[in-house]
Amino acid sequence: MFRFRLDSASGVPPYLQLVHQVRQSLLLGYLREGDRLPTVKDVVSDLAINPNTVVKAYRQLEHEGLAGGKPGQGTFITGTLSPATPDTHHALRASLERWLRDADAAGLNDDEVTALIAVARNDMRKEKV
Amino acid sequence: MIWVSWRQSRSQAIACLGVLAALAVYAILVGSSMRTAFSHDGLAACLARSQGTSCPAAVSAFMNKFGSAVNIAFWSVLLIAPGLLGVLVGAPLIARELEFGTWRLAWSQTVPRTRWLAVKLALVTGGLVLLGAAITAVITWYRAPMDRLTGHLINNVYDFEGLVLTAYILCAFGFALLAGLLLRRSIPAMIAAFIPWLAIRLAVEYLLRPNFQAPLTFRQNCASGCSVGAGIGSVPPVTGHIGDWVLGQPAGQSGNQLVSYLYQPADRFWHFQFIEAGLFVALTAAALGAAIWLLHRRPA
Amino acid sequence: MIHDDVVGNAPALRTAGLGRRYGHVWGLRDCTLTVPAGAVVGLVGPNGAGKTTLLQMIIGLLQPTEGQLEVFGETTRANSAKALARVGYVAQDHPLYRDFTVADMFHLGRAMNPSWDQGVATARMDALGIPLKRKIKSLSGGQQAQVSLAMALAKRAPLLALDEPVSSLDPIARLDFMRELMAAAADTGVTVIVASHVVSELERLCDWLIVLTGGRMQLAGPVDDLLAAHRLLTVPRATRDAELPGLAIHRADSDRHSTVLVRIDPARLAAQERREWGVEPVGFEQLVLAYLQRPSGASTDNPAQAAARPGPATKEVTR
Repeated sequence: MFRFRLDSASGVPPYLQLVHQVRQSLLLGYLREGDRLPTVKDVVSDLAINPNTVVKAYRQLEHEGLAGGKPGQGTFITGTLSPATPDTHHALRASLERWLRDADAAGLNDDEVTALIAVARNDMRKEKV
Repeated sequence: MIWVSWRQSRSQAIACLGVLAALAVYAILVGSSMRTAFSHDGLAACLARSQGTSCPAAVSAFMNKFGSAVNIAFWSVLLIAPGLLGVLVGAPLIARELEFGTWRLAWSQTVPRTRWLAVKLALVTGGLVLLGAAITAVITWYRAPMDRLTGHLINNVYDFEGLVLTAYILCAFGFALLAGLLLRRSIPAMIAAFIPWLAIRLAVEYLLRPNFQAPLTFRQNCASGCSVGAGIGSVPPVTGHIGDWVLGQPAGQSGNQLVSYLYQPADRFWHFQFIEAGLFVALTAAALGAAIWLLHRRPA
Repeated sequence: MIHDDVVGNAPALRTAGLGRRYGHVWGLRDCTLTVPAGAVVGLVGPNGAGKTTLLQMIIGLLQPTEGQLEVFGETTRANSAKALARVGYVAQDHPLYRDFTVADMFHLGRAMNPSWDQGVATARMDALGIPLKRKIKSLSGGQQAQVSLAMALAKRAPLLALDEPVSSLDPIARLDFMRELMAAAADTGVTVIVASHVVSELERLCDWLIVLTGGRMQLAGPVDDLLAAHRLLTVPRATRDAELPGLAIHRADSDRHSTVLVRIDPARLAAQERREWGVEPVGFEQLVLAYLQRPSGASTDNPAQAAARPGPATKEVTR
């Protein structure tokens, strides 16, 4: 059975943590199409979290097309994450390494790099909103 | 709810039965030897003939044997025993729930708190009545030979026979229950209840009881000499009738030929018992009623 | 979530202007909220804030001084069998009779509750490995708490109220207790209200939140809605509260900037937001702590479900 975990200190809402863990596992191949996710009761007994949280997470996964419930049988993985093709990954990785070398040459340390990324992301999000 | 009341009172009930059993053992041991002595010394026949005047030596021998100091001390302690019993049972009944916080469990089940109390009271007072009756029966049986010499209207006998012992227990119980509700701690409640109980007990015995009915007067002709105060506490008493309770001499009699004694006749025993028991039962009812009302009105 | 349809569609709890006075002091005042059936409610506040007062009124142990209280649509007099039957209660420090055995405690439950389900109680003890013949005083704190919980669950009441049930337990016992509680919520759809002052543990448990300080309700509503209605803004120090797109709940000023937790007024958001402001979502614990730190007399329109959905913040209309 797939076991979830909960990080109370992370600041990320519990239901999102569950969703992320499923996505992550799909990416890494630990979850495959057809696998059965644990029942709400199972997760609740394991993690001591609100049943609604699990329901919400599973609904989110359904919404994203990753999982689906069969009445009386449980919730099953129905889709896969389509990661970017290996070529896209490769190209993105290459431009990232170039950028990192530029930042390093400009004298930025790790924290500054992380902060810069966070700020840029934030601004981009706001533009979308 | 009956099971719950029983289960919570179970250890107290067992302790009371233990006390009763110990008392019964003592009573049987001493009572048997009393009975033996009574018939052996020919006191029965003597009493039948005379009211004890014809065998003063046998009478005083018997009285000395079974009226010893140890005995007296024992019986003095026993005087406060009904009070102790009552407060020990009554104080924790509500106070312990409040002290340990278990009221939050007891009163949040589907039984309103007043019904909770009512059932407990019914069971426990019923038990105390039975206990009181049993103790009274044991002591009455034990004292039977002695009672034939002294009657049971006089102090320290009256207090253990008839109805009053049970009534004393109930009154102490009622006071302690109410005190427990008000003070919320068992031990302070025991003390706070015992003191007024004792005060009332003594006041009734020494101030009220002699006057439940107007005392009668007996005049003794002392022309041919009689020692002052001879009548009090002797067998038979100065009135010549066993069982009469001689209260004493009214004031201002020195130097008279005719000495007057106030007394209560023996046949008033049950009448007095009913009055005194009624008084203490009324106090009990008042205390319990107040407790039920206060519990009903208590915020939480 | 599996719902027990016994109680129909009535909200589990509805209060209007609920208050309780002790002598001259108001333990709770002006409490208005509507909690849906099946919610798991966290009731948060410092000691003396009125959590126990509110719970005792809900349970039926305490009569309100003013206002209305409905549990599943019914108002009943406190301390009546009807009121007491509706709520299962685990009091602070899970009081039990120490000389009783576990079986005795369940016997008491059966004797005093017509709706008692002995099977529920014994099944829990089986699952936890607690023998029925054991005396309560020889159980560990965690086991005693489980017995209390089993009793409250076996009563089969549609609402379960717990007053700081785990404050005296070690972390493992705490987790075990919460597991059992949430499993029961998943199984039966029982509505749960947990009073606690340990905020960090509540996030995983609660989908509904009530914050009380000084006898007043500071915040009440579904957790998701409340979180969506607040933002953490990083603004220049000189920014005045009035320039913010909503009510400032908590403000921390540094030399050049301030961090403000704001309850957003959607009508003002678009107009007032500035580019140089940092905007972040608010976390559960942040939100609760911010409201706990507000002075209890702070002016606020009634926060009950105030920011539930985009729309002007309004007082909950009470019927």
